Amino acid sequence: MEKERTLWGEFIKGFITTNPLLVLMVGLCSSLAISTKVENCIFMGMAVIFVLTCSNIIISLIRNFIPDQVRIPIFIVVIASFVTIVDLTLKTIPAVYERLGVWIPLIVVNCIILARAEGYASSAKVAHATMDGLGIGLGYTCVLLIMSVFRELFGTGKIVMFKRTIISLGTDKMPVILILFPGAFITFALLSALLQWYQQRRKPEVKEG
Amino acid sequence: MHEAWRYFLLFFGAAIVANILLIRFIALCPFFGVSNSLETSLGMSISVIFVMVMATSVSWLAWNYALEPLGVGQFLYIPTFILVIASLVQFVEMVIKKTSPPLYRAMGIYLPLITTNCAVLAAATESVKPGFFTKLSIAYNYGFLESVVYTLGVAVGFSLVLIIFAAMRERLDLAPVPKFFRGVPIAFIAAALFSLAFMGFAGMFGL
Repeated sequence: MEKERTLWGEFIKGFITTNPLLVLMVGLCSSLAISTKVENCIFMGMAVIFVLTCSNIIISLIRNFIPDQVRIPIFIVVIASFVTIVDLTLKTIPAVYERLGVWIPLIVVNCIILARAEGYASSAKVAHATMDGLGIGLGYTCVLLIMSVFRELFGTGKIVMFKRTIISLGTDKMPVILILFPGAFITFALLSALLQWYQQRRKPEVKEG
Repeated sequence: MHEAWRYFLLFFGAAIVANILLIRFIALCPFFGVSNSLETSLGMSISVIFVMVMATSVSWLAWNYALEPLGVGQFLYIPTFILVIASLVQFVEMVIKKTSPPLYRAMGIYLPLITTNCAVLAAATESVKPGFFTKLSIAYNYGFLESVVYTLGVAVGFSLVLIIFAAMRERLDLAPVPKFFRGVPIAFIAAALFSLAFMGFAGMFGL
């Protein structure tokens, strides 16, 4: 199964084969909490892509100077600096900052970013690490968008972005449970089941572990 | 009496009404990662309660006596807190290894995982940063005892749900489940039902 590492391949793998949320099962917390509104997801996705790509680049650049014993604290400090940049930038948009709340500082301990730093960027060339960061970040954002469109559209009957209604189903008698807490779990379970169905249909001989 | 009742509300609100796993979705990664067996979740729970309370105490001191007086809190709190947590975890690991080998065997392997447990950073941040503490309608003055009680509530809530869920997931392995829902998806469906049950606590004692 080992493919040669092309830049495009590194980029595209984040969408399906190593999708951070559905396959690697990291970074779940923020995706479930944020996905009640499409608007939130766009900002959160941008923040994660920025932090992931920048920290991947820096860690890949300094990978030969990091002593093995203290690598985790170094990774965390690098990530924390970029999260602070995002934190202070988003503070200029108070409405968004208030809704994302504690999730911005929590990007530091978002397992996606540390997992990519530890498992990938610390042993890859800069160009590959950049593409990996972009790909994984976009894969995360895509799942986030799918979840939030599903939840907001069917939970409230319309999608409101920047105070303008984009799509409306013309009714407000919708299953509100989708935008409440259990809805997040149900939506994710459905997506995850869909992926399992897709994988088993393509490779019927491979048994799920 | 009134004071004690306020602390109880703080604890109860943090543990049950705004449960960190099911209502606020913080720390789901260790939740789904560790809840496979009852034994591991017990070990994880003890370690989390222990580390979380210590992390909040140290972070509270760092915020009130170092970061705020120096006026650097706004842009240094993230690196400071995460470094406090990471070094604390290392320190606790060493102390336990030296003083109590049985305890180390029970919770040793879970300690490094706690560094990336978002609940620890979340509780530490919320105890000191005004503005985040909006979920519960309790007057909160960001005192030391208050932050400790709040964190203890968060940690107990985490442990409670983790242990119950692990016990249920062990049975789930034997249940007849549709093919594509086996494994992760059915665990999420179960969590959804759990979350539904915990929503019933909303409004209790006026929280």
